[in-house]
Amino acid sequence: MPNAQEPPEICMTTIRFDRREFLATVAGSALVYAIDVPAQSGPRSSITVRIDRDLAVLDPANRTGPWDGNVMRVVFQRLMKQKPNSAELELDAAAEVKQVSPTVIEFRLKPGQMFTDGFGEMTAEDVKFSFERIGLPPKDGAKESSYKNDWLHLAGVEVKGKYEGRIVLAQPRANLFDVVIADGSGCIVSKKAVEQRGADFATKPVGSGPYQLVSFERQKGATLRRNAAYAGRKPRFDEIAIRFISDARTTDLALRSGELDFAVLAPASADPLRAIAGLTVSDQPSIAYVWLGMNVEKAPLSDLRVRQAIRLALDVDQMLAAGYNNKAPRLNTLLPPQILGHWREAPVYKRNVAEAKSLLAAAGASNLKLKLLILNQANYQNMALVARSLLADVGITVEVDAQEGGTFWNSGKGDTGKNIDLFITRFNGKHDPNFIMQWFVSGQIGNWNWQRWNSPEFDALYAQSASELDPAKRRQIVIEAQRLMDRSSAFVWLTNEANTLVHRSWIRPAAVPGWLDWQYDEFTTTG
Amino acid sequence: MSGAGETRTDELMRYVGSRLLTTVLIVVGAMLLLFALSAVVPGDPATTLLGPQATPELSRRFIADMGLDQPLPTRLWRFFANAATGNLGTDVISGRAVAGLIREVIPYTLILTFSAIGLAVAIGVPLGVFAATHRGSVLDHVLAFVSVAFIAVPSFVIAIFLLLIFAIWLDWLPVLGASRTGALADEFKRMILPTLALALGWIGFIARLVRASMLEVLGEPYIRTSRAYGLSNRLVTYKYALKNACIPTITILGMGIGRLLGGAVLVEIVFARPGLGRLIYSAISERNYPVVQGAVLVVVVLFVVVNLIVDLGYSAIDPRIRHDSPDHGASG
Repeated sequence: MPNAQEPPEICMTTIRFDRREFLATVAGSALVYAIDVPAQSGPRSSITVRIDRDLAVLDPANRTGPWDGNVMRVVFQRLMKQKPNSAELELDAAAEVKQVSPTVIEFRLKPGQMFTDGFGEMTAEDVKFSFERIGLPPKDGAKESSYKNDWLHLAGVEVKGKYEGRIVLAQPRANLFDVVIADGSGCIVSKKAVEQRGADFATKPVGSGPYQLVSFERQKGATLRRNAAYAGRKPRFDEIAIRFISDARTTDLALRSGELDFAVLAPASADPLRAIAGLTVSDQPSIAYVWLGMNVEKAPLSDLRVRQAIRLALDVDQMLAAGYNNKAPRLNTLLPPQILGHWREAPVYKRNVAEAKSLLAAAGASNLKLKLLILNQANYQNMALVARSLLADVGITVEVDAQEGGTFWNSGKGDTGKNIDLFITRFNGKHDPNFIMQWFVSGQIGNWNWQRWNSPEFDALYAQSASELDPAKRRQIVIEAQRLMDRSSAFVWLTNEANTLVHRSWIRPAAVPGWLDWQYDEFTTTG
Repeated sequence: MSGAGETRTDELMRYVGSRLLTTVLIVVGAMLLLFALSAVVPGDPATTLLGPQATPELSRRFIADMGLDQPLPTRLWRFFANAATGNLGTDVISGRAVAGLIREVIPYTLILTFSAIGLAVAIGVPLGVFAATHRGSVLDHVLAFVSVAFIAVPSFVIAIFLLLIFAIWLDWLPVLGASRTGALADEFKRMILPTLALALGWIGFIARLVRASMLEVLGEPYIRTSRAYGLSNRLVTYKYALKNACIPTITILGMGIGRLLGGAVLVEIVFARPGLGRLIYSAISERNYPVVQGAVLVVVVLFVVVNLIVDLGYSAIDPRIRHDSPDHGASG
């Protein structure tokens, strides 16, 4: 509201209204009424959160990214789900889940779990339908799921009773629970609703989770309302409005004005909000990983000594200071500390110009000219400029090639990828080493292995880890795989990033550690 | 009398016919250019959107779904054949009809465009007239300075300043430009700042244009004659001078409406408001070509239709324009 005005001077005037003045007064009053913004008060039963990418598809089989996934995981139930603010799993739709052999998992559903919109009770048939429509070849001309590989090795789901069933795999899967059953591809949909709604299911999903989707509009967002029929832990908020706001500056203003209650921002964008009363700003380590990669197939980078020289010429801390305002933790190996198999003793490379120069001299490389491919975002541009300056000190001239998303993400595809020299990129992670390692196997050359690094030993370790069910043994395998990556010198690990959470101080947000998978249903209030 | 009437109708029909033909050629030309661009720009939606999750098979499927594996003439033919039946294709990402996506956002675009242009006309025309009738006064100079300033500053910069002043410092209006509930009062409140952000530049532009046209018209002999007949200054200015001075403004308004229909993207982004411009922008970033093609077609059609209406409008105000058309000369 406008500030209180000074008391007016008292004077005697004759009040005369003509038609025009009357209309102007009425219109003015209406405008003042219309622009009266309600005051933002303490804990409320509904909150508004910001997402920076638009929601597109809320069907688990065809979701488009973590933004869709975050909504889906509260609209649908899974057999198991992550505990609040943890990667550890607990039962959700299932009363019991039992791994009876390396390739067979038995489950029993809790009875009385009702799908919304009158689609009846959840049964084992719905579970079978939900998993097989993603993992098995499509039937009746249906579209193949984008997430088919999540259910890799699925042989089928056998229904043993109304609530009982068995998930049968062709081969053991170490990460089945973490990245499939408890994630987006483990969401249980109503078979009847999918068949009835067809393509509309993507925007009118029918689930049995803690929230129900009550509105969804492209470019605007969605509204979730508490599902009264949900039998599990009741969410704290009756309603969560999810607003798509792509611009960080608009997000900042909406947080200040009180229209927005929660947002995740880049550290630099969040810094000015630290001083705002009523807002809490905190940095949370992410499990997304950023690195500078080198194409090992292309000369002169095909020479190990040149790659080692580049690694020694760079100063990761300086690059992070430029790219993340010193708010992002340094990463020294592929797997961030939160992930099983993190290599704690990985070497921490310090800048050594003299040694870098002598390695280049030994390789007979002089006056090198390399192109550094990056995404056209400020943090990558800042890091690339620092890298260019550091590499110039050892006689390497770097041309920074900043590309927009559509072009950048296609740069490593097919034969085009052979032309890459250096690149800085970022991949999202999950709480599973194999999920993170999968992009570096030889089969990904020409696709996502932009280093074009071909290591049969790494491939073997990757395969071994994928089916190793003993966590201790798996940890050793994964560490060995990271040692191979280190020896290749094709990777300069930069950071596992930090997400900066900005929210009303009375809100306590929740997510699986790493802050890629939000837990809307576990958002609560302080006190 | 009837013969003269028929001649006028024939003239109008010929004029409309020639403009419709131009319209069709513009639409086909624009779409040809767009299809050619989509053939050379790298990237597919699977890779762009899903990142590493996109397998080569998935990328190939998306490309096939978009018809990008077909020759250009085949794609163009299919597109127009489908568009003729109202089918603008399917969004390869969501699987929804492109026409449905456009229907969802087009009200936001139309409301914003027409309210911005309406506001610009409502303020810009009187300011222009005032400046012309008070030529050389202090207010004329002030108006000239303010108008040029409004024209020079990009609308998204104005948008940010408006947000800072009215949403943060004064706390009068909301930051987000679209209502969550869809309530009319809320929608109205949220439309004020985006409308102002777009309109301010146009207010300055229209004011300058009307001023220049008015000065020219006010020097015409028929205005002097009208005054000599003793008609009031108000009547001469607003009825006789302004009517003729408006013709260039109307032409510019047609262009302005056309540009705002697809070009308000930065203001839409700043206010987080849905719209055609933002839809096209996102679709280009995601390489979602069916959406790009469908939305651009709608923008192009709206653009040429608005300009056709404008052309017909000012040919009605000033019939000499119709008479001067090449068709008329050829037939006549």
